[in-house]
Amino acid sequence: MWLRIGAIVLCILAVGAAVWGIVPWLEIQRWAAGEQRTFQNVMAGALRGIQAGDPSAALTLCSATAAYGFFHALGPGHGKVLIGGAALASGATLKRLSIVTVLSSLAQAATAILLVGGLYFLLQIGSADLADLTEVWLAPASYVAIGAIGAVLVFRGVRSWHKINQSKQVTHGCCGHAHGPSADDVATLTTTRDAVVLIASIAIRPCTGAFFVLVIAARFDAFKVGCLAVITMGLGTAAFNLTVATSGVVARRLAGLGARNHHGVQAISAMLHLTGGVMIFAISIVMLLPYLR
Amino acid sequence: MELKYPVSHKFCGLICLVMCLGGPAKAHPHVFVDARTGFVFGTDGQLEALRISWTYDEFTTLILFESLDLDQDGDGQFNNADRAAIIAGETNWDSAYKGDVYLELSGQDYPLGRPEAAGVTLNNNQVEVSFDLPLSQPIRIETAPVFLRLYDPFFYYAYTIVPPTDPSDLPEGCQALIVAFEPNAAESALKDKLAALGLDEIPAVENVGRLFSDEVRLTCG
Repeated sequence: MWLRIGAIVLCILAVGAAVWGIVPWLEIQRWAAGEQRTFQNVMAGALRGIQAGDPSAALTLCSATAAYGFFHALGPGHGKVLIGGAALASGATLKRLSIVTVLSSLAQAATAILLVGGLYFLLQIGSADLADLTEVWLAPASYVAIGAIGAVLVFRGVRSWHKINQSKQVTHGCCGHAHGPSADDVATLTTTRDAVVLIASIAIRPCTGAFFVLVIAARFDAFKVGCLAVITMGLGTAAFNLTVATSGVVARRLAGLGARNHHGVQAISAMLHLTGGVMIFAISIVMLLPYLR
Repeated sequence: MELKYPVSHKFCGLICLVMCLGGPAKAHPHVFVDARTGFVFGTDGQLEALRISWTYDEFTTLILFESLDLDQDGDGQFNNADRAAIIAGETNWDSAYKGDVYLELSGQDYPLGRPEAAGVTLNNNQVEVSFDLPLSQPIRIETAPVFLRLYDPFFYYAYTIVPPTDPSDLPEGCQALIVAFEPNAAESALKDKLAALGLDEIPAVENVGRLFSDEVRLTCG
């Protein structure tokens, strides 16, 4: 059985890697970096405009941060890995996942606002120390949380596979009807608890780009405008992550087409848990590595 | 985590590393630097030093203003204290950091000294830091090209080498040619390099990193 699971998981990963290989990442990244640079400069111009009292600068800043959030999200990051993996593994509808995606980006913006509001204003902690705090503590905390979610997905996948096998034996043994797990037993992210954990693990690590917008805005006596700009930045990030969530759900549905019966559906769900879990776990470990040295 | 840069460089590194949903830094440049390069030759015709200038993007410039508390009188100009603070943060780096400047001579990194004669200017809302990096030993440049590359192995900083504003006087017969990074070439070079490796070999990250940078090719004679 393990050999079979392993083979199927490897197959899904190999197809994923092949698709990954076709995409000209280097050029996309280069293009995204160029766009990011442009919007970074527009942000700077708008912040100087706010300092000079230009009334339209706030609108310019918010549009620029939204675009910045979108292009910035094009790079590989922890949020996308988690959202993509969860979309693959979970039983959640696209609508539900979309809400989780948007909320996680907004929660991330809220973390930045709270940290800057609390630490910078009340405790007079400088922006360099805020960046330090994020990098040294919050980023690895977020990776650990995400790795743990990956491990839980793997565990759920293994457990439902085990149940399926048990129920098969029971079926063959006597009664002639299955006591298999219900579809709900193997689905993930259908509860509020799961969704909250997912959102929190992304939100632990705020965006330092957001920090700097907030801190510079505060220096120019425009903290409120900074908050608004950071929220639109989150929405820009969410817009990109929604495409990742959609791809994950589509991939899951495609995989589901191969199932012929109830057992098949459950077996595929178990495999997708394993695949998504292994992917999330592996990437979170890669992101954690620099901290373990 | 071990911090590899001194104050402001380290600080900017963190920005890059951590920005929104930032994961592996490889894909996330945050500080954009337009770099200018020059070569300083001695009277005996040997290459003695590199002249480097970094022009930061406008956003990074604002961050620098905030983090170093520059321009306290708000006149939009730097005073001596501002310039000293920037120079200290930008050029007083610790020995593990090489300034993201790499000079390659016959396939080897040539050792460089510490920054000298540093200066700071503010033009078009962008901070420009310039300095000289002396070579550990002056060298005579001949027909075999010497490569100067500016890159951050972690890609927090994205360097673009732009033509010098006032081309330095190169000795008779010497040429400095900027070769811009080209994604396709780099990608295929990387693939060749990886394909050439044996199964038990691990690619040296630094050497892979340099495939993705602009370079200046200096030849004489």
